[in-house]
Amino acid sequence: MKKGRWRIYLPFTLNEIKSNLAYKGSFYLFILCSCFGAFISYYLWMAIYGSSETGVLGGLTRNEMILYVFMTYVTSNIVNVGVVGYIENDVREGAVVMNLIKPIDYRLSLISKALGVVVYRFLAPSIFVWIGLEIYKVTVLGMKVVSVKDALLYLLSAFFSVLIYQLFDFCFGLMAFVTTYMFGLKMAKNALVGFLTGQLIPISFFPEVFQKVFDFLPFSSMIYTPVMVYLGKYSGEALAAVLLRQVFWIVLLYVLGTFLWQKITKRLIVLGG
Amino acid sequence: MVIEVNNVSKEFVSPKKYPGLKGAIKGLFSNEKVRKMAVDDISFSIEEGEIVGYIGSNGAGKSTTIKMMTGILTPTSGQCLIRGIDPSKERKKNAQNIGVVFGQRTQLWWDLPLSESFSILKEIYNVSDEDYESQMKFLNEVLELEEFWTRPVRNLSLGQRMRADLGAALLHNPKVLYLDEPTIGLDLVVKDNIRKAIREINQKYKTTVILTTHDIEDIEELCSRIIIIDDGKKIYDGSLENLKEKYGVTRKVTMEVKNLKEALQVDLSSDLNVSKEAYEVTTDKATNSVEVTFDKHCLSISDVIAQYMKRTEVKDIQIQETELSEIVKEIYNHGMEKETKQSEEGMVS
Amino acid sequence: MKELKRYGRLYKVFVAQFFKYLVQSKADFFIGLMGFFLTQAAGIAFLYLVFEQIPTLADWTLPQLIFIYGFAQIPRGIDHLFTDNIWMVAWWYVVNGQFDRYMLRPMNLFFQVICEKLQPDALGELMVGILLLIISLSNGVITVSGTKILLFIISMIAGAVIYTSVKLLFASFAFWMKVSGPVLYTAYQLADFAKYPTEIYAKGIRFMITWIIPFGFVAYLPASYFLKPGVSAWSTIGVECVLAVVFFAIAYGVFHFGTRAYESAGN
Repeated sequence: MKKGRWRIYLPFTLNEIKSNLAYKGSFYLFILCSCFGAFISYYLWMAIYGSSETGVLGGLTRNEMILYVFMTYVTSNIVNVGVVGYIENDVREGAVVMNLIKPIDYRLSLISKALGVVVYRFLAPSIFVWIGLEIYKVTVLGMKVVSVKDALLYLLSAFFSVLIYQLFDFCFGLMAFVTTYMFGLKMAKNALVGFLTGQLIPISFFPEVFQKVFDFLPFSSMIYTPVMVYLGKYSGEALAAVLLRQVFWIVLLYVLGTFLWQKITKRLIVLGG
Repeated sequence: MVIEVNNVSKEFVSPKKYPGLKGAIKGLFSNEKVRKMAVDDISFSIEEGEIVGYIGSNGAGKSTTIKMMTGILTPTSGQCLIRGIDPSKERKKNAQNIGVVFGQRTQLWWDLPLSESFSILKEIYNVSDEDYESQMKFLNEVLELEEFWTRPVRNLSLGQRMRADLGAALLHNPKVLYLDEPTIGLDLVVKDNIRKAIREINQKYKTTVILTTHDIEDIEELCSRIIIIDDGKKIYDGSLENLKEKYGVTRKVTMEVKNLKEALQVDLSSDLNVSKEAYEVTTDKATNSVEVTFDKHCLSISDVIAQYMKRTEVKDIQIQETELSEIVKEIYNHGMEKETKQSEEGMVS
Repeated sequence: MKELKRYGRLYKVFVAQFFKYLVQSKADFFIGLMGFFLTQAAGIAFLYLVFEQIPTLADWTLPQLIFIYGFAQIPRGIDHLFTDNIWMVAWWYVVNGQFDRYMLRPMNLFFQVICEKLQPDALGELMVGILLLIISLSNGVITVSGTKILLFIISMIAGAVIYTSVKLLFASFAFWMKVSGPVLYTAYQLADFAKYPTEIYAKGIRFMITWIIPFGFVAYLPASYFLKPGVSAWSTIGVECVLAVVFFAIAYGVFHFGTRAYESAGN
């Protein structure tokens, strides 16, 4: 793709960063609020490890679990940025057809917007939490700082996760054309995603059978994979395999989204909307 | 007096906004405030049964004044008394006496059928069954609500919605009716119906009506008195005729003549001994007519016509006063002279 | 008295609307129900998976934790059912000037806000809560008695009032901030801490959710009265009731002040 073609999507990204910054009150609060879940998890796990006789649960030591909880927070902050809200809005305001007329790809324009939010959330608070965690690791836990290689691999894997989530969310968001009641569906989606991505509990805690099934779903590639990459749980072929699986999901969800979108737009053109 | 507004002011304070992406980041750390006097020391009083036009350009403070009179906003200083009640102190008591229509936004329940909205309002305003029946009969006559009685409000056209809103504001037969842009966005026929309804209600119940509008026709057809406000300050309060008398000083005479060349020989400045700035002549070859615009204090209509009739045969004459809209436009653009403002206030109060 | 009857009659009109709505939009209702079930099921599944690895968590057994979990849902559900419209004040009504219409009507403002909407989704919350209580009761976590049933009902009501107060308080900030949705959301999220025994948290957090925003008194503390012998009803449910009254008075006062600072929306 030519360089110039990407440039038309850049304003979407910049605008979204700007409007996020405009609400300074919500800006600080969002940071505070998004930490709650992480802290609940942290204390809960500390109590759980305190009640356990063995020091290792689900293949993770207590220290690894601390890293897991906070890196899951860092990761989910940038990964759980959906496009469904934009779609809902456009459907409600009848703006989808307007978008069909414009010489831009609807999905790309939405994802560009979402990337604006991702950038903003990466800068605040994800990167700071991450740095804080590294300091905590060295000073309190007596562990080594993450290696450059692991950090870069994590960032690569997290970027794949961002794409997987947004492509998935686009497919899910098309439900807005079918039902007007997205609130319940979104809640169901959030529950499933929170559970199946490893956000709530590491996938390694599930019984073997479940873990096998999860291998065939895109969810573990959204959060669990980059966090485990960060923890250095994969190496060599296994590492290549999980990264390739992420790429596979990007391609598959991209194709699925294109297919569904064609179906929807055909219907839109026939029915008007 | 039904309404007394005494030295009322309202100041709004808002955080300062900076432009651009850099500005957005700067805004995160800044705490600067912007102050604005939306209404600045306004006083007036209104008697029972009056229909008063409250006009001014966008952002002049019209809606803010109305909102203070209805109890939505608390004045920064000063006091409104509506039938002796201060709405900022006794909101509920005042609410029972007033009806309000905001043209830009409905007060009905968006998803409910209109009939449901009315039965809810009946409970809210504690309207007895008998009063409800008789008032609904009257409202149906003037507003024809039956047409869309069972439809949800969101499915109504703008004109229907406005009729519904007006009906809803009148269900409890309020003594004072506030209308904020009641004809905005409506087509001519609907506008006319709404105005007719307002007049009928005013006549039947002696309801006091305060009306803000950008539509000069609303004022010409409904209001006996107008109050003009600009930049938060009252700049005119008086009758419509008075405004025209004082500020509508230009007259326009259009004459259809037999021979345009003959007509052009008229030179008003030398014939009547006035300066050339006092008038302006334009001609239209297509209709064979001459148009003279002049200051009525310098020239009289009869003199102007007489001069032309001396030179040529005049077939048709049209005399126009300045349109009210032009006067108002002029006032918005330039404000009023300080002196005239004071003399006007002196005259009214 | 006449006044009260008028409020009652008005409420009845809205309740009737609510049932009409429920009948008309069964599909939406079930989607919402499913959403709630899945959210709560995930939380419970988490506990199950954890208890595969450990026998007790900070001396609490799985059925006991399920009891607390379910116990927390019910006041939240009651509040959600009756006062959901408060969220709209925080997010929209003040900033876009829709609060005007309440100001124009001769009725109590708080009543007007809450009466307009009953939230059907809350039924899902209530059902999940009751279901979890039944599951834990069938595991014999407590012995049922008349006093306990009575105290349970009182605690549920007081808990709901605490939820409402927190919502009303933070929503009222919108009168000064224009939009207080994010603040309210943050405060409301604190409730999640109360789903687990508060003794697992650091002192600061424990203090915060016990006394500043007292969600601890909505779930874990009163629940512990039922679960642990020797916990007095006064120091749990009694304090809960006092806090409910105090917090509601504060929240209502701030709301009342806020309506006087209300600036409507500039055109």
